[in-house]
Amino acid sequence: MNRTVLAVGALIALAVIGILFLGLGKNPNQIESPLLGRVAPSFALREVGTGKTIGLEQFRGKPVVLNFWATWCGPCYEEHPVLVANARNLGSSVQFVGVVFQDTEEKIQRFLNDRGSSYPTVIDEAGKTAIAYGIGGVPETFFLDSTGKIVGKHDGPLTTDDLRANLAKAMGQ
Amino acid sequence: MVAAAMLAAALAFGQAAQVPDAAQFVGPPQGRPLAGEELKERTQYIGGLLRCPVCQGLSVSDSPAEMAVNMKKQVGELLARGYTEEQILQYFEHSYGQFVLLKPKFQGVNALVWLLPVIVLVLGAAVVFMKMRKLAQPSVAAAPAPPAPAEDPYVARVREMVGGGK
Repeated sequence: MNRTVLAVGALIALAVIGILFLGLGKNPNQIESPLLGRVAPSFALREVGTGKTIGLEQFRGKPVVLNFWATWCGPCYEEHPVLVANARNLGSSVQFVGVVFQDTEEKIQRFLNDRGSSYPTVIDEAGKTAIAYGIGGVPETFFLDSTGKIVGKHDGPLTTDDLRANLAKAMGQ
Repeated sequence: MVAAAMLAAALAFGQAAQVPDAAQFVGPPQGRPLAGEELKERTQYIGGLLRCPVCQGLSVSDSPAEMAVNMKKQVGELLARGYTEEQILQYFEHSYGQFVLLKPKFQGVNALVWLLPVIVLVLGAAVVFMKMRKLAQPSVAAAPAPPAPAEDPYVARVREMVGGGK
């Protein structure tokens, strides 16, 4: 009897430890996006500065770096120069697009004037594009291949190394 | 496909911005459009089933965060267009995964959340039952009778004096 109870108890304890081990090995702030491997949700949003409507579909045929950010987000200040510099270096081979949500056009324009810009930035006024992409916190960046499929996602501020690693996937390298 | 064509047409005619539509992910509405008090109540209820992605353990209905407010607003819009509860939950799950559902689905590792308490309860009851049954049973092998105590020499002497030893 005591051995049976002990064995059952040990089994339960092992199962709980196993589950905790699996769970604790992950960063709770990084939830794998269910959108990976799927075609990116389509949108057409107004570009900050020009007022032109920019649609994701128009960039089909080349990899896209889709960066969700906001002027109230501290880490976005950190990654902005990385994005601007890499967009300049990569030229027309990769399309960078910034999507700003929960923000005002005036603040975004001031941010871009102060810190520079080398790619279009659109504004997601009702936050519906952010919801469709499962955004939890900014910055979050999606990497799309030339067919529009999401092949990578990065949570938090990007470094050039993160960007290159994800772009390699987007370019099928 | 339809959504992409609509977006292309919108761009061609220079129309207003378009955001991703639920129809892209969960198809056309399968219920009846709600309005008034019923819409308000259902929005509150379904918002209560969704986790606010920028909060700590709060539902979309309970959170004042802008993201939660936007999500709740979208729940209301989808209900007003005739989307069912199942379609709306599926729509949010499509973007955020099961993380967004406050009540996990009975599948995969999540099933343990439902099964473990039942398993532990059944095992506990079994242990208590077996222990009680063991306590109620008389012992199988009777305990040997205690050895007869050796007669006290004083008692033997008295016995001899009063009755001749018997």
